Parts: sequence; C-alpha cells; structure tokens
Amino acid sequence: MDWTPAPRRPTAIRREQNLALVSAVVSGGVIAAGLILLLVARVNPETASGVRAAATDIVAPLWSVVRAPIDGAGKLGGDVGDYFGAVSRADQLEAELNKANARLRAARTGQRELQQLKRLMAVREPMRAVVATTRIAAATSGSVARTAMLAVGSNDGITRDMPVIGADGLVGRTLEVGRQSARVLLLTDPLSRVPVIVERTGQAGLATGRNLPTLLLTDRIGPELALVAGDRIVTSGDGGVYPPGVPVGVVVDPRADGPVIRLATSPLGGGFVTVERAWLPIPDTQPQGPVFDAPVPVEARTRGAPPPRLRTNEPPAN
Amino acid sequence: MWRYAVPALTSMAFLVLMLAPLPISLPAMPHLALMAVLVWAMLQPALMAPWVAFCIGALADLLFGQPVGVNATLFAMATGTMRLAGQMFGRHGSLFDWLLVAAVLLGFALLTGPLMALAGRPTTVLPLLWQWLTSVAAWPLVVRLCAAIQRKLAASAPHWRHG
Repeated sequence: MDWTPAPRRPTAIRREQNLALVSAVVSGGVIAAGLILLLVARVNPETASGVRAAATDIVAPLWSVVRAPIDGAGKLGGDVGDYFGAVSRADQLEAELNKANARLRAARTGQRELQQLKRLMAVREPMRAVVATTRIAAATSGSVARTAMLAVGSNDGITRDMPVIGADGLVGRTLEVGRQSARVLLLTDPLSRVPVIVERTGQAGLATGRNLPTLLLTDRIGPELALVAGDRIVTSGDGGVYPPGVPVGVVVDPRADGPVIRLATSPLGGGFVTVERAWLPIPDTQPQGPVFDAPVPVEARTRGAPPPRLRTNEPPAN
Repeated sequence: MWRYAVPALTSMAFLVLMLAPLPISLPAMPHLALMAVLVWAMLQPALMAPWVAFCIGALADLLFGQPVGVNATLFAMATGTMRLAGQMFGRHGSLFDWLLVAAVLLGFALLTGPLMALAGRPTTVLPLLWQWLTSVAAWPLVVRLCAAIQRKLAASAPHWRHG
C-alpha cells in the first residue's frame, strides 16, 4: 500500500534511485551484522547475558502483576466446580485414605529401621533447602527455546543452577539470574538433560527435552530390563543440581530405542514453584593463579593479579 | 513525531504479549511479533525498515533466551523479503498477502534451525510447525488490529501514511 506519488522530475528520480541503493546496502549490512552476532554467540555464549538479565528484569515483574487477576478468576471457577462434586469426591477420598493409612503403618516400621541403620553407619546426607517460593511469571511458548521467568532474582538469593520444583514434580533449573528475575530452563527445552532413574528397575538415564510435551529417556545404563507404560521416573541426584527422588514423569511409550516420558507436572500450570539450593555444593571453578614460589611482579599486581599461591600454603595433594 | 515509532512499539508490545505463561507444552503461541513486523512492512514500508526489524528481533532474542542474532537476522530478512515482494508483485488483495505471509513464516521456522546451529545450539525445528499453524490462523486478526491503528493515526495526522 504505497501512497507515495510517482516522482516526475529527473532529480527526484535520481534521489529515489540513490535512496533505494542506500536502503539495499543497509539491509545487507544489517543481515551480515546478525550473522556476525550469531558467530560471536557461538564462540562465547555468555556474551549477552548481562543485557538478557536486564531485559527479563523488566518483563518478569510486569507479567507477575498482570497474571494475578487471571489466576484469581481461575481459582473462583475451580471453587464453584468443587462445590458441586463434593460428595462423590469425599467418598473417593475416604477410600483412598483407608488404603493410605494401611500403607503408612507398614512404612513407619520400615522408616524406623532405616533410621537405626543409618545411625549405625554414621551416614551424613545433604539437606534440601528452599531459597524462594514463587509463581512462574512468564514463559516462551513461541520459540525454539523453552524457558520460563520467575519474578525473583539475586536479591532473593537466587543463583545459577538451582533446581525449580513444583508441587507434583520437577520443573527445571535456573539459567540466568537478574536482580529481580530469573530465567528457568524447563525440562522440555532441547538443551535440558536431567539425570534420572527408573524407580522400578533402578536403571539410570537422562531425561532429554525436545520442545514437545513429552521427554525422551536416553543413555539408559544398568540391567537390560524392558520398561512398561506407567513406570515412574524420578531424579537420581547425579550431577549435584537436582535432589534425588523428585518425580520427573511417567513412561507412556516404552519403546526400546527411546522410551517417551510424560511430565509429572505441567511446568506452566500456574501453581507455586519452589527454588531450592543446588543439591550438592557446586565446585568452585574460578581460574586461580599458578602455584609458584616467586613473588608476583609489581606490574602484574597493579593490574589486579591475584596474590601468589605459594607452594607452602597449598593443601597437600590427597 | 511519536507516530513514527508506533509500528516498532506495537511490535514490541506483541513481543511482551507472547511471553504470556500459557499452560501448553508445545511451542504453539503464534509469532505475533514477527507478524506485526510483516504487517507494518506492508502498510508502512518506510517505518519498518530492515534495521528496525533487526532491533526488534534482537529484543526478541533477549526475551526468549535464544542466542542474540537468530531472530534479529530472520526479522531483517523477512522485512527485506516483504519489500521485494511488494516491488515485484504490487498489491493483490488480502488472500495473496495471506499466502505470502504463510510462506515467509514457513521460511522463518525452517531457517531457525540452521541459524541456531550456527550459534552453536542445534535444535529440532519440527515442533515450530505448530507455531506456524497457529500463526497462519492468527494472521487476519493481527492485520485487522494493525490496520485499525493505521486508520486511526492516518485520520489524525494525514502525513503519517507517507512515512
């Protein structure tokens, strides 16, 4: 829909031609700049993390405010529905309660034995610790990357690589952290790999995201046992980020070449999620200066070199 | 003066709208931002130059957590394609536009894979075809909305339509 009248004078025509040439050159330059940015991202994936965190800092609080009334309306609708189904639901729950009580009695005995045994063996276990409880504020539902945003950030003690856990199971882990926002890598993202075990058989493996509602169980190790539909998949605690025993999902298609897992929790279901401290302390991988017995030159020290690590101060190897 | 920024601002608003936490596990949210960019590239070619689209795409990369440059490059290329198509074919009515945009969106979905691989994060793009379907379905809505904005602003400022 071009309303610009056709130019008549020769100077105007020349100007139009020049403008068209310039705009074509600018367009080509812009596309070339995009490709260069991609190469930069390939060489150094952390390039834009600061800008990215600033952008989510603006958007995540916005969405956490916007979604509040929508959540309220949804809850009201759910309350009305609950009222009508109350009696049948109560009967059903009572039956379930009787069954659960019987199993609880059996489990209590087992738990006491387990505690005694652990005390005898002097087992020390790391503890799970909740850092923050919040809702998912925003999510990327229209992109190849499957991430969500939380409206809590480094001001609330969030750091990278913290597990994010919903009421029914694992949601993901924190990826980038701003001051008041954090980006969560959801289990369904193609980059996500969660160390899991099959609860029934004890096989270890990786739950791999693929930008679909289901996950793929890959790299299975352990006894060659066939899975069945309904096998529960829980985290194994390997790698130290996710605590062990958190439900990940249920096998729905036990194919030998790649069992398909349905997620235990809908990551964007609207419930609360907790951000926990990483299961094991993440090792400090900051580069440290070389070990040597000579003093650091003055020139290096004025440029911010760390103090020398002397051989006498180093902890003995093993 | 602020009217010159309206196409870019509406596209960015659509970008933020795309971050709604929908309880779906498929990438099925229509690509509203790219469609807004395409509409404005048709209605106001001067105000949606490739470099403007590039900036909006870079913002999309930041918000979606993708390597910076994937959406930026593709938005700029999409705008250029719309310009070329406008010069080659002229105006053919809304059905032709719909088909053209469907082709551009398909190209976007298919080119995302190689560009992500170039940035060192290869991924499968087949799930993005869901987004392609919803986007093609949502196109008339986006066109109506942007055309309404265009009419409103052109009525209050007749010179706006010339860029």
